[in-house]
Amino acid sequence: MAAGVHFQLRGVGVQYGDCCALDSIDLDIAPGEAVALVGPSGAGKTTLLRLLNGTVRPARGTVAADGYDLAALSASELRRVRADIGFIHQDLALVPNLRVLQNVLAGRLGRISFLQGLRNAISPSRQCITDVYAILDRVGIPEKLYQPVHRLSGGQRQRVAIARALYQRPRALLADEPVSSVDPARARDSIALLTEISRERNLTLCMSLHNVELAREFFPRLIGLRGARVVFDRSSGVADRELSALYDLRPEEQAS
Amino acid sequence: MSATALEVRLPRPPWSVRGIVVLALLATAILSAAYLQLGTHSLVPSAPGLHAAQKFFVRALSPAVAHESDVPAGTPPLLVNALRATGMTVFIAVEAMSLAIVIGLLLAFAASSAWWMGDPSGAQSWWLRVVRRGIVPALYGTARIVIAVMRSTHELLWAVLFLAAFGLTQSSAVLAIAIPFGGTLAKVFSEILDEAPRDAATALRSAGASPVQVFFFGLLPRALPDMIAYAFYRFECALRASAVLGFFGFPTLGYFIAASFENLYYGEVWTYLYTLFVLVLVVEAWSGALRRRMAI
Amino acid sequence: MTREETVRALYRRRPRSIFLRVSCAAVMVLVALSWGSGGFAADAFLSERRLRNLQRFLTELRPHPLQGREFDVAVAWQWTLDILADRGLAAAGATLAISMLAIVLAAAGAALLCLPAARNFAEPDAFSVSLRPPPPAKRALWKSLTIGSRSAFVFARAVPEYIWAFLLLILLGPSAWPAVLALAIHNGGILGKLASEVIEDLDRGPLAALHAAGASRSQIAVTAIFPLVFNRTLLFFFYRWETCVRDATVLGLLGIVSLGYWIQDARARNHYDEMFLLVLMGAALVIVADVVSAIARGSVRRSS
Repeated sequence: MAAGVHFQLRGVGVQYGDCCALDSIDLDIAPGEAVALVGPSGAGKTTLLRLLNGTVRPARGTVAADGYDLAALSASELRRVRADIGFIHQDLALVPNLRVLQNVLAGRLGRISFLQGLRNAISPSRQCITDVYAILDRVGIPEKLYQPVHRLSGGQRQRVAIARALYQRPRALLADEPVSSVDPARARDSIALLTEISRERNLTLCMSLHNVELAREFFPRLIGLRGARVVFDRSSGVADRELSALYDLRPEEQAS
Repeated sequence: MSATALEVRLPRPPWSVRGIVVLALLATAILSAAYLQLGTHSLVPSAPGLHAAQKFFVRALSPAVAHESDVPAGTPPLLVNALRATGMTVFIAVEAMSLAIVIGLLLAFAASSAWWMGDPSGAQSWWLRVVRRGIVPALYGTARIVIAVMRSTHELLWAVLFLAAFGLTQSSAVLAIAIPFGGTLAKVFSEILDEAPRDAATALRSAGASPVQVFFFGLLPRALPDMIAYAFYRFECALRASAVLGFFGFPTLGYFIAASFENLYYGEVWTYLYTLFVLVLVVEAWSGALRRRMAI
Repeated sequence: MTREETVRALYRRRPRSIFLRVSCAAVMVLVALSWGSGGFAADAFLSERRLRNLQRFLTELRPHPLQGREFDVAVAWQWTLDILADRGLAAAGATLAISMLAIVLAAAGAALLCLPAARNFAEPDAFSVSLRPPPPAKRALWKSLTIGSRSAFVFARAVPEYIWAFLLLILLGPSAWPAVLALAIHNGGILGKLASEVIEDLDRGPLAALHAAGASRSQIAVTAIFPLVFNRTLLFFFYRWETCVRDATVLGLLGIVSLGYWIQDARARNHYDEMFLLVLMGAALVIVADVVSAIARGSVRRSS
């Protein structure tokens, strides 16, 4: 089984105009590790995730995946690295007027040529369809194979997004708030699913979450972000006091 | 909380801006009328005009079903003629639209910033940088200029030009419609592509797809329903344009309308007008049904 | 069932639209028939005679004073200015004036008729739910009003503006009115349809609330419906104005004074050089209108 991706950040700083999104981040995520990012809104969780797959370039420092500095790669090399990293976006980013099958198939576009992709879009091979069905079965919605995505509920769409990321056969999974708009019971199911699959396939998992209870329950390692910095990085038991300090509204931040 | 926090600021009344706009438009209209020296007196129809109009509109309720005069033996009946003319109108419109769609798509890809300004990820070789900075904006600009020139001239004026250059052939008619319509399609398609939501495209890019793949599998599916809806609307316009080209001698509905009118066969004119009306209605109903099926 | 069989069963039960498939097939058949009707290729497009014709045409495009001489910018420029001063600019002004008057009249007509044409407005119990259904006579009256105004829009739209102008010329004689009214009627139908669709898409809730608070139908129309519809229709208004400029140029071919008139005049006299210049001028006018329209639409979007 292929090893998960090894992420390393050294002294990373990200700037959006005047606003400093991330500052002096030093992070090491071992292959196959499962990490949860927690912190208040605007702390930089999404930016951090996007650094890990090269969508955002750091203004300072280096971001390395498996030892390769992402900023120094050429366009085609970067594409190859990204094909190994699955990303589940907060807004799911599916194509609503296409079927579930076609949406999931699009996940592997990074590894096939344009013409092959075209062939898959028009008439996918039996092997492809069976593969997609197997993945949909794993995430729990096999009967939706041919349904157009706009007919699915929010929870089902989320599973399609997960399926697409899994179909990519990645070595790492980055998930940006995958359960923020879903009810608590379903949220639990989804996170359990993702952590289970990551363990099975030895994927590096990095997920940003609002719900700290779920984070503590499922993830051995928690990274707390606040004010563009890493506040704590614990592999074992994070104290309640620390978590409430993380989310605490300071006096000057309270609305007057 | 202090009292000032509870003060509600009244929004500026919406009437002021809208009222100004309406007044400005009315003023423009009045000035234009003055420039053209239009008075209500010229709205009153002249006596012979009124007479002709009366005779014309009276026939609206009783369109002709057969030729209104003696025709040489072997002339097809009126309704067959109307059907043939309709067929010709449709064929020219379809030919023109198929050309226009091909031209429009090619130019739209060139003129859409979504196509060119993809995310420049990774370090780049120097020649790629040259392409990005130099050639791409030039192509983009050229495409936009070509589109503007193509669509600013009305299809009838293109027809006049082609008539003078090539004579009265079916290709003159088809090209006369295809060129400006191709330009309009290109402009609208490029706008739709630019304004389509890019979330799926971003997702595919982060999965490692190449820019071409991102465009075709992430952006285009999002834009396609709107593009198809607009293409159908343009087809309806093409039908009308094709009919009007008949006034210039092409064998479409307009030719027979003009001919019958000149011969004062008002019943026949109404037959042809109603045929055109039905044609446009059918296409509109079809396109409406399509849009409903494709809506999300 | 094995996995294969399940997948196949799902495939057979997948949602598909018969209508879309039939439409696709119909389109392909139409395209095949049209190109096969043999006009285009069979023309022997690039036959010998045609090429000579084209060559002759292209040489005649050179400005008259330059025929048979070396190309001289000053002479060409002077010739251009002469034509512009004599008739070009006046005709361009007439074209613009026709377009502006026509589009304003179109908007007025659309504003008047869009309310009865909107299905959710022109019903006896549009905003309330009464215990007794309204009498059939009343419903029929309202229904006929809706059908009448919608049909008026459709007819106004279906007849090309060129034909409207042609008919109106007979009726009104040679003045600018046939062009103005033809464009006004045709575009009125288009704007009216759009406005009624916007009204039909409106949320029923706020309007029903107003009605429950005691507002009459006309009050609701003025205070609630009009502002909501205004912005969207304004965008389309400017877009149609640009189309009107293009159409006003062409209506001159019928004999009404606009650029088209002089184009036709030049063609009749076989002065292809002048004709070409005036066509270019028409194109320039449209491009200017396009830019102005884009600016106007941009500021409407920003302010809304």
